[in-house]
Amino acid sequence: MASEDEVSLLVVVVDVNPIWWGQQAQREPEFTLSKCLDSVMVMGNSHLVMNRTNKLAIIASHCQESHFLYPSKHWKAGDAAGDDAVSSSRDGKYEVLAVTNDQISEEVRNLMARTEVKGHQTDTLLAGSLAKALCSGQEMKSRILVIKAAEDCALQYMNFMNVIFAAQKNSIVIDACVLATDSGLLQQACDITGGLYLKIPQKSALAQYLLWVFLPDANQRSQLVLPPPVHVDYRAACFCHRNLIEIGYVCSVCLSIFCNFSPICTTCETAFKIPLPQMVKPKKKKLKPAT
Amino acid sequence: MAASSEEVLLVVKKVRQKKQDGTLYLMAERIAWGPEGKDRFTVSHLYADIRCQKISPDGKAKIQLQLVLHTGESTTFHFANENSALRDRDAAKDLLQQLLPKFKKKANKELEEKNRMLQEDPVLFQLYKDLVVSQVISAEEFWANRLSMNSVNHSTSNNKQEVGISAAFLADIRPQTDGCNGLRYNLTSDIIESIFRTYPAVKQKYAENVPHNLTEKEFWTRFFQSHYFHRDRISTGLQDLFSECAKQDEKGLKSMVGQGVKNPLVDLQSLEDKALDEGYGTAATPSTSNSNRTVKENSNSAIIKRFNHHSAMVLAAGLRKHGWFSFHDLGDWYFPVGAIEYEDLQQEDGLKTVSLNLKKSDRYSHGPVPIQTQHYTTSQDIINSVILVQHEMANYKPCLTQVMSSTMASSAIVALSPGGVLMQAGTQQAINQMVPSEVQSELKHLYTAAGELLRHFWSCFPVNTPFLEEKLTGHLEEMLQTAYNKFHAWQTRRMMRKT
Repeated sequence: MASEDEVSLLVVVVDVNPIWWGQQAQREPEFTLSKCLDSVMVMGNSHLVMNRTNKLAIIASHCQESHFLYPSKHWKAGDAAGDDAVSSSRDGKYEVLAVTNDQISEEVRNLMARTEVKGHQTDTLLAGSLAKALCSGQEMKSRILVIKAAEDCALQYMNFMNVIFAAQKNSIVIDACVLATDSGLLQQACDITGGLYLKIPQKSALAQYLLWVFLPDANQRSQLVLPPPVHVDYRAACFCHRNLIEIGYVCSVCLSIFCNFSPICTTCETAFKIPLPQMVKPKKKKLKPAT
Repeated sequence: MAASSEEVLLVVKKVRQKKQDGTLYLMAERIAWGPEGKDRFTVSHLYADIRCQKISPDGKAKIQLQLVLHTGESTTFHFANENSALRDRDAAKDLLQQLLPKFKKKANKELEEKNRMLQEDPVLFQLYKDLVVSQVISAEEFWANRLSMNSVNHSTSNNKQEVGISAAFLADIRPQTDGCNGLRYNLTSDIIESIFRTYPAVKQKYAENVPHNLTEKEFWTRFFQSHYFHRDRISTGLQDLFSECAKQDEKGLKSMVGQGVKNPLVDLQSLEDKALDEGYGTAATPSTSNSNRTVKENSNSAIIKRFNHHSAMVLAAGLRKHGWFSFHDLGDWYFPVGAIEYEDLQQEDGLKTVSLNLKKSDRYSHGPVPIQTQHYTTSQDIINSVILVQHEMANYKPCLTQVMSSTMASSAIVALSPGGVLMQAGTQQAINQMVPSEVQSELKHLYTAAGELLRHFWSCFPVNTPFLEEKLTGHLEEMLQTAYNKFHAWQTRRMMRKT
């Protein structure tokens, strides 16, 4: 049992990339963004109920912004959707959970409503969302759970790595639950901060995976039998072809990595001289005078 | 025969060795035995080679002396003279007892050093066992590099800390009354050393006078009798041995005061007693004329002067390494340089640095995500997807009671249970849990031994002498081959054991 006054914050970063989810709805109509959000809510509720001092934050990672779904700034107490037959407060639920769920759904509706279609912004702003998550968890023990849908964006690499190292410095664990394609960046994040990385085989059972694997916090995980850590590919990519290489050439001036030797570094234009191997002179045998 | 310059210390006749009569000779550096009537020595051992000597117990009929060498061999001498056998044997034994320790140190030092190194470092010991005992490398080669490495360490550890001087050493002498109006001063060598180190003038006097003019006892008697040693050192004009010392001390004190204390953090000159008003503190005007001083004041100031001088000399003696010293050392000792100098505030050195000139810096920001063929989405696809999602979420209401079906949940649980789809990687045991620990440790020993051989190999480069070339092509080849055979043998042995 965690001590009574220890505040533990769980920040869930949900990838709500509308383009990916739209395509997903066409591919698998039984698992859509609504179902995903439902699962996240179930997990959020469970976390709040585990301990009176637990706190929750949910961030939606969109391609145009990163938005806090919970706690929401715009919430006004009397604004519950009055049209519904089943109002959240009427089914006898714990008030905190009811309010939480209402806020989340309200915010997500508004977020999706204000989505504008822009062709060049199709990547999820994951690095930004993680940075917001880090900032929110400053005063208390916190951890981050990333639910990832769309593919990695290579342009966010630097920011991503900075966020990961900042999390490591502040002992904030980053877990990852990946729905579709494996993400190398998240694998690194989990490996560096000591979190769990899981790519789930069945999206429809997301809630079960979240409750089983990601609900227990870092202290409790040592006592549970959980999926083992994945092997992370830490190979660097060469600057010329972006191939992942194991052995390469590194410029000593600018530290850029190349897969082949070239006499001039293309990044900093330093010229390199590699000395040729010394030619071994054959020994001259002294001719013995013929006797 | 014996070299003509060798000094013969003892000759014992009628000593048998290996059932032969002969004579035993003890010389300056060795012990030798020659048979009766012959001119040459058949047995000769340097004292340095002898590890120890043993004698037969007293009650026995045969009176024998045995020499055990470092190599383990032993030679026994039987003293057969009817009358003086015991005396002879004892005389030989006593002489040997005196001589052996002198020679022992030289030979043993290296061996001791090696033993010490082997005992201190278990890894080294294991290497030694693996390589030298199994004859992969010869012992000299093994020790060739190591001893030179360690001799450097050893020399630094030999500089033990010197013991300082107690400030109260003179007071510690504590004269005892003799009973009849005399005083006994107990002088130990420590005290004498302290006196010499603190007062080099006294040391000089000692060197000048002892043992030519005075005996040591007389010197010290005079020392204690002289006014130099006494509290009130008022120069009475007597021609004392130590009156010069007193003058030198005065000179030294004056120069010390003249140099002052070089401490930028403390300004000694501006320290003085300042009286607030009448009745608070001392009077403002110090007495400057000597004639006004009372006798008591004079003797007080003399004591204080001596006290300060003594303290300064004790401190300086601790700082001084050899011979005379400069009073500079005292000043430098007191303040740390770092306290008064700040690097940041000083003038910049003006080191010219070369700036980095990057042409394509965006390469760094691209992560190790290989450029894959992205799924090509048309803009129509994008628009459609977004509209679909917007539509869906506009009417979003959480329905938490129907998040998933029970079949889905149970299949997920199965996948997460041990043996399930997601738990496969965990069943791979780490290799160090599968291999027994003794095999692991043997492998580690072999690995370190191989590393040692490689070190020998690489130390031969660059090959600039024929000796190295020889070593490489001949000797090392062999060594590596032996090592390889050893490893192969171990491997087959291990594999046989498994099957």
